[in-house]
Amino acid sequence: METLLGIKGPDFVMLAADTTHARSIIVMKEDQNKIHKASDNLLISTTGESGDTEQFTEFISKNIALYKMRNGYDLSPRAAAHFTRKNLADYLRSRTPYQVFMFVAGYDETDGAELAFIDYLANAKSLNHAGHGYGAMFCSSIYDRYWHPNITQDEAYDIFKKCIVEIQKRLVVNLKNFNVSVVDKNGVRNLEPISAQSLTDYNASS
Amino acid sequence: MALAEICKISNASYMKPTAWTSADANEDLKTFSCNLANPYTLAAPPFENPMLNLNQIQANSGKTGIKIDFDHGTTTLGFKYQGGVILAVDSRATGGQYIGSQTMKKIVEINDFLLGTLAGGAADCVYWDRVLSKECRLHELRNKERISVAAASKIMANIAHEYKGMGLSMGMMLAGYDKRGPGLYYVDSEGSRTPGNLFSVGSGSLFAYGVLDSGYRWDLQDKEAQDLGQRAIYHATFRDAYSGGIIRVYHMTPTGWINVSNTDCMELHYKFKSEKEAQ
Amino acid sequence: MARRYDSRTTIFSPEGRLYQVEYAMEAISHAGTCLGILAEDGILLAAECRSTNKLLDSAIPSEKIYRLNENMVCSVAGITSDANVLTAELRLIAQRYQFSYGEVIPCEQLVSHLCDIKQAYTQYGGKRPFGVSLLYMGWDNKYGYQLYQSDPSGNYGGWKATCIGNNFGAAISMLKQELADKPSIKLEEAKDLAVKVLSMTLDTTKLTPEKVEMATLQRVKNTTVYSVLDKPDVEKLIEKYNKLQAETEAAKKEKQAKQPKS
Repeated sequence: METLLGIKGPDFVMLAADTTHARSIIVMKEDQNKIHKASDNLLISTTGESGDTEQFTEFISKNIALYKMRNGYDLSPRAAAHFTRKNLADYLRSRTPYQVFMFVAGYDETDGAELAFIDYLANAKSLNHAGHGYGAMFCSSIYDRYWHPNITQDEAYDIFKKCIVEIQKRLVVNLKNFNVSVVDKNGVRNLEPISAQSLTDYNASS
Repeated sequence: MALAEICKISNASYMKPTAWTSADANEDLKTFSCNLANPYTLAAPPFENPMLNLNQIQANSGKTGIKIDFDHGTTTLGFKYQGGVILAVDSRATGGQYIGSQTMKKIVEINDFLLGTLAGGAADCVYWDRVLSKECRLHELRNKERISVAAASKIMANIAHEYKGMGLSMGMMLAGYDKRGPGLYYVDSEGSRTPGNLFSVGSGSLFAYGVLDSGYRWDLQDKEAQDLGQRAIYHATFRDAYSGGIIRVYHMTPTGWINVSNTDCMELHYKFKSEKEAQ
Repeated sequence: MARRYDSRTTIFSPEGRLYQVEYAMEAISHAGTCLGILAEDGILLAAECRSTNKLLDSAIPSEKIYRLNENMVCSVAGITSDANVLTAELRLIAQRYQFSYGEVIPCEQLVSHLCDIKQAYTQYGGKRPFGVSLLYMGWDNKYGYQLYQSDPSGNYGGWKATCIGNNFGAAISMLKQELADKPSIKLEEAKDLAVKVLSMTLDTTKLTPEKVEMATLQRVKNTTVYSVLDKPDVEKLIEKYNKLQAETEAAKKEKQAKQPKS
């Protein structure tokens, strides 16, 4: 039900995540941030089994921080994604697998932007645009239609608006609010959240 | 017996020629009570995948005659507002259809500035709350300052995560007052932990949410807030068969917690009824 | 006196020394010389080979210089059997890093990881330290070309040029002198310098291609190119050096001859 979205541009990656924390049929919270800042140039967004998401994301973030402390430089986004996948794969084959779906997004001076899609079976794939959860099923065609290799941050934000309008229109579950963050050469920034309220006079076709 | 050895079951008690010696009993006693010395070594149920299989055993209790319905069913709530944190709970403990207790204390006083509510498996909650109390006291002794609500809830979440899938059933709120001001965290046996302004947990939570969401504002006065908590629980006890008994209201203030009221829900029922009739 | 404190690595002597570690260092200062020079367009390792028996199979190319991974090469001075264990360990560390991060290990991490192991052998009971010093040359995208040296105590450092093994002190002071007025040198110059330093510090009078092993590491088109110099190439370098040496020698004699005798 919970939804994560991600778009990679030539020199940035933008992530969006809904802010709902639900337990069975009850919405417990409407301002749960699911996009975590792992380092100065790395974002991790996580969804999946409650509890696992927080524990695993924290485990990865702390290890990335430890790497920086030990070596004096950051892990590259690609290495961070590989490290995340490797740990998830190892846990998958243990008695205590983590059921999490995530995006590892980062920007690196030499390697450029990186958006890694990782699912609970530890499949990892570097992609230009991607989504997790039911909401994402409505978005793939929107990505295909509007994404292009030279996409700007404004255009990417607008694609997210289009996606969220569609999710709120067609998905049976109510996902009111989405947090949006971006990572580029200037580091990590939070953008204005996209909510039902902020979309009241948005026209997707304009 | 070679096969038994290959299968590593030759040491199991049911493979032994004489079924039950006092040495065996001693051995079992040691394994199953080791948590008395170290609370974190709680023995797991003696079968695979406890979460799944325990449910099956409970579901088949009619056929097998093994009835192990744990005490369940609760309504608890907590919310932050300008004057601190309010916690309100009922006091009914049910095991299946049977009401085990009408006077349970579902708010655990961890220390003067920290309270925990319990919902779900009563034994699980009481047990782990006691462990948490111990940890909080140790933190105080080691660091010469009270533990923060964030840290206390993290201890609880880490325990829950450690035992995830072993069949624990807990949904608790931790409320406190520390350097950062009033704190309210929700922690459950899935291992999730999240701060928030307003939570309700338990079988009656959806009834409590209804009343609470309708009457909640950040700038409530103390009396209004206490009454809102009490009323939300009362309405839950009315609609939810598994909630009832005494409605306890606690108020967490900058100077520690106050037990505001402990009122029988029946008393409240007639009070509210007469108020309605008077209108 | 020393007997009481040098039988175990883990025990300090009253003067605060660890004899076993010092003995290991001493063992290395009798081993074949290895030197490394960092140039601006590459990096070089050169090693002296002691076992130049005619019966040795020349099909086995390199004896003292080991490839560690895509981007790193090391040469060793000391007990060869210990060195084999350490190079195997180095290769393992490098691959383990690649397994968990999907990238080639940065040079310093590999060196420091091995040094942790070397250090452990100077501290934990019943073990003797590894009698090996290593020179590492490598490239990574963090700091470019790098030259490291590590010793049995588990110390390591980065160098522009350094030397381990027999006569290392003399070799280092020569390198220092030669490089004193240059901020950096080209790889070709470094090769000449390596031959010069080796021939001056080697105990034997004459340098032959059989006695020298030389390898270079360069970045070409975003890939690391490692090459061991062929014997004829080494021979050319030696000849070039000998010729130069003869010329300077002759010039000196001429100069002396011109000077009036007092």
